[in-house]
Amino acid sequence: MIILGTILTLVFSAVLIAALLVAAGVFTWVERRVLGFFQERLGPNRVGPFGFLQWVADTVKLITKEDAAPPGADLFAYRLAPVLASAPVLAGFGVIAFAPQMSVAALDMGLIFAMGMLALTVYGMVLGAWASRNRYAMLGGLRAGAQLLAYESFLGLSLMGVVLLTGSFNLGQIVAAQGDLWFVVQQPLGCLLFLIAGTAAAHRLPFDLQESEQDLVAGFMTEYSGMSFALFFLGEYLAILLVAALATTLFFGGWHGPWLPGPVWFGVKMGVIAFAFIWVRAALPRPRYDQLITFAWKAALPLALLNLLLTGALVVLGGQP
Amino acid sequence: MNATFALWAGSLALISALLVVTRASVVHALIWLLVTLLSLSASFFALGASFAGAAQILIYAGAILAVFVFVVMTVDASPKALEQERARLGRAWVPPALVAALVLVPLFAWRGAPGADTAAPMGAAVSATDLGMLLFGPWAAVVEIASGLLLAALMGARHLGRRGKPEGRG
Amino acid sequence: MSLDTPPLAPVVEALRAQFGPAILSQQETGEGFPVLWITPEASPGVHHFLRERVPQPFTLLADLWAVDETRRQHRPGPARGVTVQSHLISLERNADIRLKVACDADAPRARSVAQVFPAADWYEREAFDMFGVTFDGRASHRRILMPATWQGHPLRKDHYARATEQPPFRMTEEFFAAEEAANTIDPVALGLPVLKDGEELMQLNFGPHHPSTHGVFRIVLGLHGEEVIWAVPDIGYHHRGAEKMAERQTWHGFIPYTDRIDYLGGVMSELPYLMAVERMCGITVPARAQVIRVMLCEFYRIMNHLLFYGTMAQDVGQMSPVFYMFTDRERGYRVLEAITGARMHPAFFRIGGVAMDLPNGWDGLVRDFLDWMPPRLDDYRRMVMNSDLFRIRTVGVGAYDTETALKWGTTGPGLRATGMACDWRKLRPYSGYDQFEFDIPTGSRGDIYDRTDVREQEMRQSLRIIRQCLDNMPGGPVKADHPLTTPPDRAAMQHDIDTLIPHFLTMAQGTVVPRGEATGQIETHRGLAQYALISDGGTSSYRTRIRTPSFAHLQMLPHILPGMTVADVVAHIASLDFVMSDVDR
Repeated sequence: MIILGTILTLVFSAVLIAALLVAAGVFTWVERRVLGFFQERLGPNRVGPFGFLQWVADTVKLITKEDAAPPGADLFAYRLAPVLASAPVLAGFGVIAFAPQMSVAALDMGLIFAMGMLALTVYGMVLGAWASRNRYAMLGGLRAGAQLLAYESFLGLSLMGVVLLTGSFNLGQIVAAQGDLWFVVQQPLGCLLFLIAGTAAAHRLPFDLQESEQDLVAGFMTEYSGMSFALFFLGEYLAILLVAALATTLFFGGWHGPWLPGPVWFGVKMGVIAFAFIWVRAALPRPRYDQLITFAWKAALPLALLNLLLTGALVVLGGQP
Repeated sequence: MNATFALWAGSLALISALLVVTRASVVHALIWLLVTLLSLSASFFALGASFAGAAQILIYAGAILAVFVFVVMTVDASPKALEQERARLGRAWVPPALVAALVLVPLFAWRGAPGADTAAPMGAAVSATDLGMLLFGPWAAVVEIASGLLLAALMGARHLGRRGKPEGRG
Repeated sequence: MSLDTPPLAPVVEALRAQFGPAILSQQETGEGFPVLWITPEASPGVHHFLRERVPQPFTLLADLWAVDETRRQHRPGPARGVTVQSHLISLERNADIRLKVACDADAPRARSVAQVFPAADWYEREAFDMFGVTFDGRASHRRILMPATWQGHPLRKDHYARATEQPPFRMTEEFFAAEEAANTIDPVALGLPVLKDGEELMQLNFGPHHPSTHGVFRIVLGLHGEEVIWAVPDIGYHHRGAEKMAERQTWHGFIPYTDRIDYLGGVMSELPYLMAVERMCGITVPARAQVIRVMLCEFYRIMNHLLFYGTMAQDVGQMSPVFYMFTDRERGYRVLEAITGARMHPAFFRIGGVAMDLPNGWDGLVRDFLDWMPPRLDDYRRMVMNSDLFRIRTVGVGAYDTETALKWGTTGPGLRATGMACDWRKLRPYSGYDQFEFDIPTGSRGDIYDRTDVREQEMRQSLRIIRQCLDNMPGGPVKADHPLTTPPDRAAMQHDIDTLIPHFLTMAQGTVVPRGEATGQIETHRGLAQYALISDGGTSSYRTRIRTPSFAHLQMLPHILPGMTVADVVAHIASLDFVMSDVDR
């Protein structure tokens, strides 16, 4: 029985990982097409219908490309870094409940686990930067480290309101608690702060300072090419999907929705949030590094604390769990 | 099953901990420290202490070690410096080993002694609610003292951060 | 005409009274401003006098350059081997004055005026680089455009002009290593700090191959964390020796090269060159040609400013505007292509007019563009200028005041952003700009935001000018009826022998421009462009001096960058809107 359960979990994990890799690939195509339409151009439209297979072509190209390391690089850390940038994000999906009883591991501490996995991606950036022996990469790595500390603080706090309302860190239970009302209604500030922090966690514009191509060329991944680069890239797109999945779970009612089956609703909501990421990227300029850090510590963190305090007070007064 | 996994994760933690203290490059040592922390967290999960496991990942592996790496990144890692470090490691492993032995021997002796607590819960999950009840019930005073300490650290950090700030620059 | 400025007799008299025999003579040229020969010893004193002691002082050192006089047949009075010239402008007076110092041909020596005009620094380095002139009073002489390993001084008449005049080039390991070694910047040798607060600075090579340096521009930054402590610009990667080429090309044949001086300016750089040539030839350009010239110049101003606007937004991380603006540029190029037959380098102006008349239906194309742009510009204002994130990145960043700007020779939008309404189109209306109604947008803070804002408004003004060109395009010929018009009117050439013979001669040998010296100045999209030509009565120029605005603008960088962060450096560089071809020539 235990062995059967293990096998089932393994199969589900394998399917999930395959689906996520495909989803990340498709997402790169969607992003490029959508950006194209935002920007009065076409985007990739040559490979397959509407260019849909562009991501396959890109994958083939990246796999077959030489994976060069700069002279003087620390090869151990240099090769490890891309793995650290993508593997934890995949692990983070393990605790997401796509439907009732539909998750790889319904951990009690699912939320904290997922946040921890998001936080681990910083090693990929910092180690990759350090190992490259490149000054632009180094600056990017330092920014990544400082930025992580700044937004990680309010990323966690912004979610605690939801935890207070549910009384659980289990993502399945959090979704179950939103059958009547999505938490975005009760926690609008928490939701906003989470999406901001999530953008930073997925290092997307306007918070992509560690790889800001205008000043740091490509930041921590300046020297990477081929599959190593692809893993960084994959990590970034998976992180967007993970943040979207977390937002769906925590604030937008997860699998709840009429007519359609739960996983479909989950996917649709994730898609909408991921689309918003693309939209933001097309629209906004990037703040300076010190401005972002100042915002994180001086505006976002106090707001997250305030949100937590108010929610706590309401929960205690309302006599909920 | 869980016990086997815990044992496996624990061994991994031990091996990587050994690697931590024998690496010449300080960044490599930190990478192995990360492995140690993650293995420890895995073994926490296996033993049912999922809150400790998750917190281990988020706080130790995710935040504290990141600060270490952040600082260590800026140290000199040229081949010359590495050579020097290797030479030091070759000579200076005796005192740390002695200290470790001083800690470990009583620990094992105590574990082996009759009447020691061998009834540790194996695999029985401790929920966050239980942990919270424990922390803010019998141990509330300790938690408050710890939070006071954190507050002091926070103020100290603020003070240090202010001191070096150049004047009149926006 | 451009330089027919008020007479400067009182100033010249004051100079003679002050310096006596040090003022050697006043050269008779066709220029509208006095050209004075002075002794080398008096040079810093005269510059200082003009900068500080005369009423309405000459605050702008527009240019400083040298001329190798050794092969010149009709040499002006005091000229010996090499002449060092400086061109000063008083904006308050709206007047110019040019000072010349004669030096020996071998080891020419002059006095540095960098103490009086800081902007002279790079110009003196260039004169040293190109002519070997050493300036007493300078701490060091470093090459600026040529590699440090270069042998000889390229603009001297005895220096070869083509690689084929040399033995074949071989790239050896030793040569490569030497070039690489010569490229390193040693902060100690330049008197720059290595430490700050006891911490070692990080030296960051920004460029020449960096996405944000807008061409092959290299700037070495000394960083303390992310803060810039010092900056050393390194230019010359785009140097093609345009001034040397001008000495080999015919007067007519050099026109396409001027397009490439500022490759985003299209026809813009042709204008000051032709204004100078036409001045020497005594050609008056017919009205229709003048208005066509104005219209095309304004089109290219918009083309350039759109590119600037988009890349400015992109350099603070905003991704989309540049794509929208490329759509607009494509529409603009459709018009330009129909009129000139080319997009970036049209080479459309000719000595005495333009290459051909406007095509049928040009007015419809221009009108479409005029209707298309304003709503788009309003969109961009909402998208970029009114964006809070754009504001926090640019307001108060990279600011300098009018005095600093003039001290470093800054002109154009970079000067107008400080609040000074200085525009050559109004100051000295050329090519009929006085016939048009337009305003000069100015800023107040002189920061990145204002520089962007000024250019954004200039586009609207340019649209206004184009609208007036469209509505009031005069009839008549597009080429002057003058023997030196090159090439002569085709219909006339096919009709009468009096035009066929000059046509044959100018095409076979080149136009012979009467000897003399002439200067053309215009307000390009970047600032003051000045072509100072010397004709020795031949079919090509004896000396073509090209003063470009970008060169002067970059010179200010080491003085304005310290204190900024790396991201600000990118934004500041973008806001200067230079093109490396315009800097290096």
